[in-house]
Amino acid sequence: MSDEEHHFESKADAGASKTFPQQAGTIRKNGYIVIKNRPCKVVEVSTSKTGKHGHAKCHFVGLDIFTGKKLEDIVPSSHNCDVPHVSRSDYQLIDIAEDGFVSLLTESGTTKDDLRLPTDENLLNQIKVGFGEGKDLVVSVMSAMGEEQINAVKDISK
Amino acid sequence: MHHGYHDNNEPDLAKLQATMQAIELACSSIQMHVNPAAAEATILSLCQSPQPYKACQFILDNSQVPNARFQAAAAIRDAAIREWGFLSAHDKIKLISYCLNYVMQHAHSQEGYVQAKVSSVATQLMKRGWLEFQATEKDAFFQEVRQAVIGSRGLHVQFIGITILESLVSEFAPSTSTAIGLPREFHEQCRTSLELNYLKTIYCWAQEAALSVTNNIVQSNSEILEVKVCTAALRLMLQILNWEFQYSTSAVESTKKSINVFSTGVRFDVNSAKRSEYALVQPGPSWRDVLIHSGHVGWLLSLYGALRLKFSNHGYWLDCPIAVSARKLIVQLCSLTGAVFPSDSGQTQNQHILQLLSGILQWIDPPDVVSNAIKCGRSESEMLDGCRALLSVASVTTPHVFDQLLKSVRPFGTITLLSTLMAEVLKDLMDTSTDEETWSWVARDILLDTWTTLLVPTDLTHPSMLLPPEGINAAANIFALIVESELKAASASVSSDEAEDYLQASISAMDERLCSYALIARAAVDVTVPLLTRLFTERFLRLHQNRGASDLTETLEELYSLLLIAGHVLSDEGQGETPLVPEAIQNHFVGLTEAEKHPVYILSSSIIKFAEQSLDSEMRASYFSPRLMEAIIWFLARWSSTYMMPNNEMNKGVKSKTVFESDLQPEQAGLVFLSLFGEHNQGKHILDIIVRIAMTTLVFYPGEKDLQALTCYQLLHGLVRRRNVSAQLVALESWGKLASTFIGDKNLFLLHAAHQRSLSQTLVLSASGMGNIEASNQYVRDLTHHMTNYLVEISGRSDLKNVSQQPDIILGVTCLLERLRGASSASEPRTQKAVFEMGFSVMNPIIILLEVYSNESTVIYLLIKFVVDWVDGQIIYLEAQETAIVINFCMRFLQLYSSYNIGKISLSLSRSLLSEANAEKYKDLRALLQLLSNLCSKDLVDFSSDSIEAHGTRISQVVYTGLQIVNPLITLDMLKYPKLCHDYFGLLSHLLEVYPEMLLELNAESFSHIRETLKFGLRHQDAEVVDMCLRALNALASYHFKETAAGKVGFGSHAAGYKDPNGKMQEGILSQFTQLLLQFLLFEDYSTDLVSSAADALLPLILCEHVLYQRLGNELIERQANPVLKSRLGNALHSLTSSNNLSFSLDRPNYQKFRKNLHNFLVEVRGFLRTM
Repeated sequence: MSDEEHHFESKADAGASKTFPQQAGTIRKNGYIVIKNRPCKVVEVSTSKTGKHGHAKCHFVGLDIFTGKKLEDIVPSSHNCDVPHVSRSDYQLIDIAEDGFVSLLTESGTTKDDLRLPTDENLLNQIKVGFGEGKDLVVSVMSAMGEEQINAVKDISK
Repeated sequence: MHHGYHDNNEPDLAKLQATMQAIELACSSIQMHVNPAAAEATILSLCQSPQPYKACQFILDNSQVPNARFQAAAAIRDAAIREWGFLSAHDKIKLISYCLNYVMQHAHSQEGYVQAKVSSVATQLMKRGWLEFQATEKDAFFQEVRQAVIGSRGLHVQFIGITILESLVSEFAPSTSTAIGLPREFHEQCRTSLELNYLKTIYCWAQEAALSVTNNIVQSNSEILEVKVCTAALRLMLQILNWEFQYSTSAVESTKKSINVFSTGVRFDVNSAKRSEYALVQPGPSWRDVLIHSGHVGWLLSLYGALRLKFSNHGYWLDCPIAVSARKLIVQLCSLTGAVFPSDSGQTQNQHILQLLSGILQWIDPPDVVSNAIKCGRSESEMLDGCRALLSVASVTTPHVFDQLLKSVRPFGTITLLSTLMAEVLKDLMDTSTDEETWSWVARDILLDTWTTLLVPTDLTHPSMLLPPEGINAAANIFALIVESELKAASASVSSDEAEDYLQASISAMDERLCSYALIARAAVDVTVPLLTRLFTERFLRLHQNRGASDLTETLEELYSLLLIAGHVLSDEGQGETPLVPEAIQNHFVGLTEAEKHPVYILSSSIIKFAEQSLDSEMRASYFSPRLMEAIIWFLARWSSTYMMPNNEMNKGVKSKTVFESDLQPEQAGLVFLSLFGEHNQGKHILDIIVRIAMTTLVFYPGEKDLQALTCYQLLHGLVRRRNVSAQLVALESWGKLASTFIGDKNLFLLHAAHQRSLSQTLVLSASGMGNIEASNQYVRDLTHHMTNYLVEISGRSDLKNVSQQPDIILGVTCLLERLRGASSASEPRTQKAVFEMGFSVMNPIIILLEVYSNESTVIYLLIKFVVDWVDGQIIYLEAQETAIVINFCMRFLQLYSSYNIGKISLSLSRSLLSEANAEKYKDLRALLQLLSNLCSKDLVDFSSDSIEAHGTRISQVVYTGLQIVNPLITLDMLKYPKLCHDYFGLLSHLLEVYPEMLLELNAESFSHIRETLKFGLRHQDAEVVDMCLRALNALASYHFKETAAGKVGFGSHAAGYKDPNGKMQEGILSQFTQLLLQFLLFEDYSTDLVSSAADALLPLILCEHVLYQRLGNELIERQANPVLKSRLGNALHSLTSSNNLSFSLDRPNYQKFRKNLHNFLVEVRGFLRTM
């Protein structure tokens, strides 16, 4: 057996990159993909062939992770696709301003004040009511390709 | 109207009018979609009102709205079935005869559906009372119907009489009966009674009715009313011949002791799936006079013959109902077999079939004339029915008898007719070659089934089971035609631009057909295998000579088809077992001693040689398309499981049994070539080629998921299944190359994740081929080292938090987790040690990753699945100390998962993203429940040397703790996922049955969670879930009962009642469930299958909560206003707990008695309780 070990090289500046190339055939359902310059969650992958004796291609159906809009793409399965770098961070919610901006406590102890509450009435209430009742809320912020959004909330007061 | 009814008031005409108008209004508003909900409620209230018979009859007699009459009939049925228990015998009979008179009087009615409904109400009520009615009552009913059927009251009434019988027969046949809230046993009794006492009589009546109108039909030139009667009678006869006769065989055994299965020409083959598709008709000896000796067949054939002459007349055509019914009956009579024929070596049966065939021949013979007529626009239905008749005949005869049948009237045998007919059909297929289902398409499938029926090997020891020589020639010719037509279809399909055509899909669509082809080919294997070799070689040469000069897609497509056909002819589907060399191939070529000249060897090696060309990069680029490679890999997988390094012992074993009275050695008996594929001959070399081809598909066909799936799941996985092949594999250089590529080559990290998992599993499994245990374990360690190392390293990185969410890192982690999963699921006793070490070394990394990726659902799911698979493979082998380590790890894992997910609410703008998130949660939870179940299995199967209890580990405690952790995550919303729901209640009922005492150690929150979910489960749609809940309840209550009987506390405070958070006193768990269960049993809808489990749960509950039960019973009685019903209810409740000597214990006989009691109780009272 070979002694050489395989390592995934991660370049020093990789953290700054917004997207990464990845072979279309390796992208799975529930993974991420960039379609029409939008970061999407893959909800459906199917393969088909170009002509009877041609090569496989992948058909992706994705949902924009910020807007939920449905997007589709077809890529030859040996070609590369862009995969967005999606990260999530948790912050404690310290305040909700009148204008809909929230104030969040970062790990380093500073505050982050550039995020709005979600626009949807329902979701808004979940946070507002919880906060109004004096619960300790942790919100999780999802960011990808230069956009950010609050996408989950958790009550840690217990 | 009748004094037996409870309200003795004179029928209030105004009131009846009002009801009728209300129902009429409701019916018409449903039709016009005006407030349908209210209309339905009105109709429902009629069905559910007590004793609605007078109103219903009033509507039936007076309403001008057919729908209202229909609904009234339905209401009579519903009410009578419900109230059956307390209708007087007189009332019941009156209802039935009312319905009967109604349909007879309205025999001219245009609204057939109202008539059909009322007849079906009559027959359903008849069936409901079947076991209680006196013989005279039944006779009166049948007398009335008989009068109608023989035609003494006119043709309309005659028709109605026949339809009543039709409806009666269909009610009494279990597969078509209507549910009437009684157990299966009841339906079976009715079926038996009808079959033994009435069915034949009914058939005779139908015969009589048909006979009585035959003359008029034959003499008429236009459509007359008699045709309708005759059609109905034919339909009724067909329906009766479709009955599943049960009492034919036992009767035979008593009269005729020994029936020679072979000489009667009947083959009983239950194993063949094909055979069961069309039922044999076996009514038994008592039917002989009616079906055989009465000239029935002659009459039927002459009736159809007369009809055929009329097809040009007005009102008759090939597909007119009477012609269709007559043909169906003729075909059905072809399947007649068994003891209905006397045991005269099949003479009578052969005559019977021959008589039928003489009529049927006109439909299909001569084949070319018939086929041309259809091409010119004649309807194909008669010809197709002819094919079906051949199929039926084939199913009741041996190949020999089948062939002989025709020889007495024609110069050729039936098989020759079959093959000329098929040849015509194939010709038409080749000419038309459209994608639509043409008549020739349907005909081909029926005729292929006929061949299959003739050729499916049953017992080759008997000469009459083998095809006669002409038959073998016919098979060879037909196979040549089949291949020609398939090749033509293949090359034609190239131009049609259908991209969505996968190997798997096309194989499974074609599979049945290909299996039939294979059977035909094997019947003449010495001709057909060389034919395949020739066709294959021709096309192979064409590729070589062409060398890129012109487009050879057609040839590629033909090769593709040939590979599929050859694969089916040469070997059988193993389905996980090792398939043997097909018997036909074993039995032919006896005496052929030169292995290299064996046709099977020649065909196999020319295909392998062809496949080997794909290793050449130039050839690969020009010809070996992914699609062609799929066929090659499929062929190699199928072929190698039969022929690669075969286990000679096994093939020998079969030989001695099947080759007739010979003690030939396999070498002499045509299997001489097998040794050529053995490990000491070319086996190693071929194996090497196969491995290299497999590797080619993985490396040089990037992104071809389907192809790689075939390579991983079918080919490679099949190879490592056998130990002797594994032993050769691990010694091969190419296999070593595959392993090192897997470890280090970037290409294989680009495989689909599931394929990497499978590949990892395959490689680990091949370790079983190593010489000793130590070597096997070392092999696994070398393979898995890279996975564990990477995970240990990455989880130790200081910048883990930053880099972990980069897509490339996520890809790397998921690939390695998949590989770990694959390796885990390959754990075998031999390599268990190495696989345990592998998992052990990544325990910490797993915990770290679970934390880092808590928001990355895909990784989390893989982490859980890895732990599930690893624990599943390991747990039974682990020694006590290792068990403790694994269990601690699992608890930490569960705890951590739960702490990240409890109370978390995902927000999203989009509903679809949110439901995706929920679906992921659900998959996680399901996997966690699996983990708990896997841990449970340690208590059931344990191979370790010492008891784990000695080390202070109690599995029950562990699993309950786990449940306590997982419970809060399983919300009632989550339980709406059916699979999760099943798993959860499955685990819960198992836990409660095996360790009820542990329930006490749960905290209050978990306890009430279990209580609430059980309540939820009891009301679930799925009967299986309800059943599991009932089992859990039984376990709970019987534990408590036994404990308290022994003077212990049982569930103590949980059973006694508790204070809820608001300080209010709540009832104990058992009393809550007693009430719930009674409520459920008495007032809700459920399947009768559940009554037994409900009884098992109710008995211990009643024993525990005796006082409460008494009180509930009394309340129930008090609520009943009607004094008659009140006393009935009281009696029923009393006998529920006292009849059948029910005692106060929980032993098996007592449970059984209670089941019976509860059943009687429900039949007695549910009807009126539910409507009050």
